Amino acid sequence: MSAKRIIFDSVLFLYTLVLLAYGSTQLAIAFAPAPAFGLSDLVIDQEFFVRRFPEVVTGVGVLWALAALLAAFAYKLNLLTTGEILFPNRQRRPPAEANPHFLRSFWGLHLLFLFLATLAMSLQVTEASFYELFDREGLSGAWRLWLGLTHPNFSLLAKAITEAIETILIAFLATVIAIPVAFFLAFFCAKNIMNNRVAFPFYVLLRVFMNVSRSVEPLIWALIFTVWVGVGPFAGMLALTIHSIASLAKYYSEILEGVADGPIDGIRSTGANAVQVVWFAIVPQIILPYIGMTIYRWDTNVRMATVIGLVGGGGIGTLLIQYQGQAMWPEVGCIILVIAVIVWLMDLASAYVREALK
Amino acid sequence: MNPLLSIKNLSKVYPSGVRALNNVSLDVAHGEFLVIIGLSGSGKTTLLRCLNRLTDPGGGEIYFDGARADQLTGPALNDLRRRVAMIFQTFNLVPRRSVIANVLAGRLGHVSVWKSLLGLFSETDRALAQHYLELVGIGEKANSRADQLSGGQQQRVAIARALCQQPKLLLADEPVASLDPATAHVVMDYLRKANRELGITVICNLHFLSLVREYATRVVALRAGEIVFQGHPSEINEDWFKQIYGEAAREVHVR
Ligand SMILES: Nc1ncnc2c1ncn2[C@@H]1O[C@H](COP(=O)(O)OP(=O)(O)OP(=O)(O)O)[C@@H](O)[C@H]1O
Ligand SMILES: [Mg+2]
Repeated sequence: MSAKRIIFDSVLFLYTLVLLAYGSTQLAIAFAPAPAFGLSDLVIDQEFFVRRFPEVVTGVGVLWALAALLAAFAYKLNLLTTGEILFPNRQRRPPAEANPHFLRSFWGLHLLFLFLATLAMSLQVTEASFYELFDREGLSGAWRLWLGLTHPNFSLLAKAITEAIETILIAFLATVIAIPVAFFLAFFCAKNIMNNRVAFPFYVLLRVFMNVSRSVEPLIWALIFTVWVGVGPFAGMLALTIHSIASLAKYYSEILEGVADGPIDGIRSTGANAVQVVWFAIVPQIILPYIGMTIYRWDTNVRMATVIGLVGGGGIGTLLIQYQGQAMWPEVGCIILVIAVIVWLMDLASAYVREALK
Repeated sequence: MNPLLSIKNLSKVYPSGVRALNNVSLDVAHGEFLVIIGLSGSGKTTLLRCLNRLTDPGGGEIYFDGARADQLTGPALNDLRRRVAMIFQTFNLVPRRSVIANVLAGRLGHVSVWKSLLGLFSETDRALAQHYLELVGIGEKANSRADQLSGGQQQRVAIARALCQQPKLLLADEPVASLDPATAHVVMDYLRKANRELGITVICNLHFLSLVREYATRVVALRAGEIVFQGHPSEINEDWFKQIYGEAAREVHVR
């Protein structure tokens, strides 16, 4: 019996059991009067989850064991489960029999149920409500905001443009500082270069470090740096630099991993030293993709710098959050317009340049 | 006179455990056009790459031009590679760069590193590159992009790059294996020209015996990493052929 299949099915069954437990208690609250139910302490909801977390973890463990039993049982019954579809056992079942209409099959109905139940749960958790969406007071508030945004106050235009330029320069500086560092690090992040026994552990370590610093959103870096160097463009720039170094090093190293060995052998065989090999055999192969990637990064950085501005990283984002805080919607409208135009222009320009470099 | 190249008990075992060369001993005299033959996997490429140390041999000794070559590192190794040029089955030119830039790369071992990085090649070097490009008959392609030439033209650029090193020994690893028969002869003719007119010793891996008979002054046959035949090409008769390539093999002719 295939281990992959049992693991996969048991996880699906576990989720099914959890949904059933959650759903039944939710239905009980909705339809049974609470006093009559009397066990409100055991109702499974978000609060219960937080309050009784250790018990919940144990419970899930027990349920998983149960689910694994169910999965094994389904296997005995020769049920066509999702696991069986994904990891078929060709010896047991002829391929033809594996394809009934999905609404007639166990796996089809099972997945359909899971989808609908998850949909219901997410609607409930998000507190989606047509009542609030069409509430009169709420609507009129949104209408005022909309009026403000569509009638931008252009007296703020000059200020907005100056701040936008600051944002672009923050992004530019962050990119420029990141380029040489990433260029250097990329060689140590490329598997085909770090393939000897001494270098490999170093490669793994650097990769892990890069992935971690890349998965920390620039927004979080910005929060760290606003505390460190104070609110302002400098903090935003530092945050973007860190993130850009990690992303560029990753992109660069992927390009490096695609470099052909032939030209490297060719240049090495002329008696060139290591630096010359990099410059004459590797750089010509990577230069255009590098430029394309870097321009894309600058473009992304402009967008990110705007968002970072919202948490105090300077530039047009900071301006936006100031006026938004005072509910000055016509001014906010003007700022948003400037942001939209700049992001659109940068995007367009970088797309054209990258296309031309191909 | 001392041999230009002397190989003593050379062995190579790859990390995968494959014994690609086993106790190979061989002398190569000045001015020879030595051809190495053998089945695919018999170790021909490995032998050539050990000679300019693109691959490190596992055991044995290599003497080149009177000095030990198998232990060299750093600048001394680069200097060895400068004197032992190589051309490859896949040409191995640098794509996206011009033909003349590729040929100039043959001077990298001669010029100072920082000058080469700044592209400051001397007029003499540039003239030399153009000269060798014309020697292989494609002087007019100097400013084309290397990857936009035909296979035969690319291999001629590779020969020009190798000649630009002004080497004593030229290693050629199946230089015509990816070319059509007519182009193969053109390329082989330029190798012979380098051998006869410039006095460069050539060691060349080949697959087709008809080419071997036409160009080789001496033949060495490898089988499973060991030398099984050494001699003049005319000595390869039916019996030797079966010894080298196995009982079931039949000869293919290339005109
Ligand atoms: N980089 C490598 N790592 C591991 N084994 C290798 C490597 N290169 C070659 N070998 C092995 O060494 C043996 C000899 O290979 P080699 O490339 O020298 O043969 P060859 O005579 O050049 O063959 P061909 O005519 O196909 O080019 C083969 O068994 C091959 O699988
Ligand atoms: Mg080979």
